Amino acid sequence: MSDQAMDDKTAAARPNINAMQARSGAALNEAKLAIKGLDFFYGTNKALKGIHLDIPARQVTGMIGPSGCGKSTLLRVLNRMYSLYPGQRAEGQVLLDGQNIIEDGVDLNALRSKIGMVFQKPTPFPMTIYENIAFGVRLHERLSKSQMDERVEWALTRAALWTEAKDRLNTSAMGLSGGQQQRLCIARTIAVRPEVILFDEPTSALDPISTLKIEELIDELKRDFTIAIVTHNMQQAARCADQVAFFYLGELIEVAPAAQLFTAPKHAKTQEYITGRFG
Amino acid sequence: MQQATTMTLGARSASGRRGSQLGDTLFAGACQAAGGFVLLLLGGIIVELFLGGLPAFKAFGLPFLWSTEWDPVSEVFGAGVSIYGTIVTAVLSILLAVPLAFGVAFTLTELAPPWLRRPVGTAVELLAAVPSIIYGMWGFFLIAPLMAQYVQPPLIDSLGELPGIGALFQGPPFGTGILTAALILAIMILPFIAATMRDVFEQVPPVYKESAYGLGCTTWEVMRNVVLPYTRISVAGGIMLGLGRALGETMAVTFVIGNANRITTTLFGPGNTIASVVALEFGESETGSLKLSSLLALGFILFVISFIVLATSRFLLRSRLKG
Repeated sequence: MSDQAMDDKTAAARPNINAMQARSGAALNEAKLAIKGLDFFYGTNKALKGIHLDIPARQVTGMIGPSGCGKSTLLRVLNRMYSLYPGQRAEGQVLLDGQNIIEDGVDLNALRSKIGMVFQKPTPFPMTIYENIAFGVRLHERLSKSQMDERVEWALTRAALWTEAKDRLNTSAMGLSGGQQQRLCIARTIAVRPEVILFDEPTSALDPISTLKIEELIDELKRDFTIAIVTHNMQQAARCADQVAFFYLGELIEVAPAAQLFTAPKHAKTQEYITGRFG
Repeated sequence: MQQATTMTLGARSASGRRGSQLGDTLFAGACQAAGGFVLLLLGGIIVELFLGGLPAFKAFGLPFLWSTEWDPVSEVFGAGVSIYGTIVTAVLSILLAVPLAFGVAFTLTELAPPWLRRPVGTAVELLAAVPSIIYGMWGFFLIAPLMAQYVQPPLIDSLGELPGIGALFQGPPFGTGILTAALILAIMILPFIAATMRDVFEQVPPVYKESAYGLGCTTWEVMRNVVLPYTRISVAGGIMLGLGRALGETMAVTFVIGNANRITTTLFGPGNTIASVVALEFGESETGSLKLSSLLALGFILFVISFIVLATSRFLLRSRLKG
């Protein structure tokens, strides 16, 4: 597939042609998160083997690979979610602005306020839309009522949910549609004003229209946030990501700018995967 | 060859079918009889209790429910004191048991290392296996003296001086009484409440907890803001289950409550419950006497109260299975 064909295909799939063109030529920013020699274990089972990966600031890093390749595991390392479960451990270094976040003694609550996460399925809490957003903010900041109102509006606007939700802020979040719930979860995550947002297959439970909205949102959010997204969908990675990393059996096979990885992969395994020969 | 196989199969299944049909009918009949028997039994108990208590209801009318009189000599009976005692001890025991049960359930689901969860969980469940009479003796010989010596005097000296709630903590420190009964009851219902709470806490999908942790919540914040709101109905159901047990408990309460037919404001005062009155006085009642009828009427009242509480509990817990 030529560069031209690739650009045409992705351009047709998404409205923002300029962004894609700009992206395919743009260099990667300096690393916000630097992963160095990371091994990860579920008990005695080694799920990640010697990962080296830089996640550039204010850009989108896509992680692709077949099921069980370790991409979601890597995401769960980045916000130390694995620490909830005994028997799971990581070795090596994950540097956030130069500080190793996987060593002992890191303040996990503070870390997670810097590195937010959006999950595969929408997970609204059983409270009102307003409270869903204010809840996370209150954990870390003390705001007056009017400041909080502003923050909620800001977060909902950034998550492209404000117009739909502004008249029902005090109704239960459970009443929103699946796509709206997922955008609420994004709003909840950005309301805490993290520096990095991790997306774990954020659209796998959504319909195509909602998926498109979330993808546009991710494109919009990267102006302010560093983003890492795990996806099963290669088109999605091609549409959203600046840099794509391909994982296979716990190893990072190849990482490159999106246009390069999808058009001229260096590794035979990557070539096989992106042309749909396995996975 | 193929035909022959079909033939034998056909013949065998036909003959087997006749046998299984008869077996099915017998089995279904037996099971239905067992099911019907339970209904009949339950209905029979209610009717029997009601009919037995009818003379008392007729003699004393509705005031039987709140009259505090219990005079076997002049044959005047009222349920007021024992209904009061029943409800107060049960509610107090809930107040004491719920925080404890929550702590146990919280520890077992979130805090304890995995290797500790099973032994502690089993130990809590085994509390439910201790016979009630053992709790009664333990309460009478161990807890009551401890209460009289170490718990009640300081409470009387401190809280008893306060205006308002001070009235609850006055009087002589006998050791036995309403508070001690409630304490023993709390320990007895703890396993039921703790087990229910643990089960429903475990049913909260991990991804909800993770998304709260992902926002930077501490374990306690996740518990309070996510797990408890998700499970509040089932938790209420578990508490009602405990309340139901506390209302009907007899032997342990009879040992430690003091057994006096009066309503006192102080929690250290003696009292009685429906179950303890029936247990103590049943043997001294003549057949056909108004006293026996009054005891049966008490039984009927307890039955109604417990039935309502347990039905509420079932209803609340059922919505968890659906939701």
